[in-house]
Amino acid sequence: MEKKFNLQKIGEKRYSLDARGLVCPYPQLLAMRALGNLSSGDVLEVVLDNPPSVRDIPPVLKEKGYEVSEAERVEKATWKIVIQIKK
Amino acid sequence: MTEISTTDLERFIGWYSLGRDSNPLNPTKSLHFLRIKVPGGFITSEQFRHVADLAKTYDRSYAEISDRQDIQLHWIKSEDALQIFSVMDKLGFTTDMCGQSFSGARYGDARNIVCCPVSGIEKGEVLNGYPLMKKLTDLFIGNPDFMDMPRKFKFSISGCGSDCTRAEINDLALVAVRKEGEVGFTLLAGGSIGVSLPGPRLAKPLGVFVKPEEAFDVAVATTEIHRDYGNRESKAKARFKWLLDNWGFKKFLNVLEGKLGRTLESYDGPVFLKHSGHEGVQPQSQEGYYYVNIPLMGGRLSSDEMVSLANFADEYGNGELRLTATQNIIIPNVKEKETLLKRLEGTGFSLNGSKLQWTSMECASDFCGKTKSPHAKEIFREIVSHLEKQFDNELLDEMGFRIHVSGCPNNCCANLIADIGLAGKLVRKNGEKTQSYDILLGGGVGKNSSLGRIVEMKVPANRLKHKVEFLLRNYLKKRTQGESLREFCNRHTVEKLKSYLNSTGE
Repeated sequence: MEKKFNLQKIGEKRYSLDARGLVCPYPQLLAMRALGNLSSGDVLEVVLDNPPSVRDIPPVLKEKGYEVSEAERVEKATWKIVIQIKK
Repeated sequence: MTEISTTDLERFIGWYSLGRDSNPLNPTKSLHFLRIKVPGGFITSEQFRHVADLAKTYDRSYAEISDRQDIQLHWIKSEDALQIFSVMDKLGFTTDMCGQSFSGARYGDARNIVCCPVSGIEKGEVLNGYPLMKKLTDLFIGNPDFMDMPRKFKFSISGCGSDCTRAEINDLALVAVRKEGEVGFTLLAGGSIGVSLPGPRLAKPLGVFVKPEEAFDVAVATTEIHRDYGNRESKAKARFKWLLDNWGFKKFLNVLEGKLGRTLESYDGPVFLKHSGHEGVQPQSQEGYYYVNIPLMGGRLSSDEMVSLANFADEYGNGELRLTATQNIIIPNVKEKETLLKRLEGTGFSLNGSKLQWTSMECASDFCGKTKSPHAKEIFREIVSHLEKQFDNELLDEMGFRIHVSGCPNNCCANLIADIGLAGKLVRKNGEKTQSYDILLGGGVGKNSSLGRIVEMKVPANRLKHKVEFLLRNYLKKRTQGESLREFCNRHTVEKLKSYLNSTGE
């Protein structure tokens, strides 16, 4: 279980978090937890398949001061949200 | 790889989730709800007080009992979730895995098992279904083998011989019966009145007799069949009713018996031995004791009311409370019933209304955001208040009908199985969306179960109470001897029924 929730480094200052298979509120809580481990300028991609979380995460994180893309559908039932910690 | 600390989260995954309220129309501004699973509706006064506390802290002092004996709290914020889950863990509660809405046919769980709320205390009970409900609940909760089914799976267990658990809208229902002096369960399968394919279905009796000691294995094997053979290609086809529709019941029984390694005994007796929702004050099988069923009109309670009820349960009962499948609450094991009734009246809980206040149900349409005012619970209160002014309570009770109100076509309050079902929809009027309701008549579960028919569509909300009144006046004038409202409605054409909604002919 722990392996699944680790951040994968996928590029320079760029990380991915796999939150697939998780129901609300876990994708959001994990995303917040992951962001707490990153630094200014880092980018986090959250991959998830729970539609309520897809809708909830962007506005919540924007309110907290992150730059957040709108969710992008990457497969039939999978989305990606890109979050940047402002410099 | 960068590690993130998740141990505190992981212990709750698979045991707790949040559901989602709202869309742009939601006037309450609640984003999430918490559906506390209360197995069989059994809850202690201490637990109830703690839930009242949670409601006070996180839910604006408000809670509602659902039609599967859960307690729902709204206005829950994701960032408070872990704190709330910790409290629930200490109380011994979990949640349904709602809030999924996954696109595919995945992550279905076993929902709270609805159990006769007077198990173990009902006079003339056939057999006590509580131990079976508990054993199954303990198996399913947090069990990864049953957390990724094609869709949710719903059980009911009725040990009293009545239709108090609304067996026919469950995927698998176990109803206690007697066969040649022996007690056991007969099964009904494939019920679901939601819109998923193949459309609304009432569960069908399987014509089998299951001994009490076999019932657990039968229930588990049925769930495994749903898990292993249910449609995974399309979410619309992933409910158990679709599998049964495709296989036929004969094949299902063959597969079930194959899994069990034995043939099930046949049963051709009646499924339900009586009709009861356990309303009002009833003597228990324990001499000198009563249970007191308190109608809650929509299942809503404030934190203070919850604390009062918990205190009454301690003072007059044995500290137990039982939630019913019609969103009411029972205090069992009461000796001084008259004193308790006075105290309840003094706290705003009256048992003097018509039976409609116990039997009817409405959805929480003001939270889900798919409807506009007047919402389902407002409509219901208005109709009941109007009917209780127009007719004596005794006459309303004698007519013995149910009203179910759902705010939108999702049909969360099962309009199709009510004598009078009201199904909300938004219609455009003068350029604006307004709330209207379709009227369905003639539905019901138990003996002579049937699905209601749409009789009139897009009725403005302020006309509903008058139409229901006209229908009842026509029913009283034109019914045959002993004919129920359901039978009366099903005897007439839709056109005739529509005329009965619009005039008393006087």
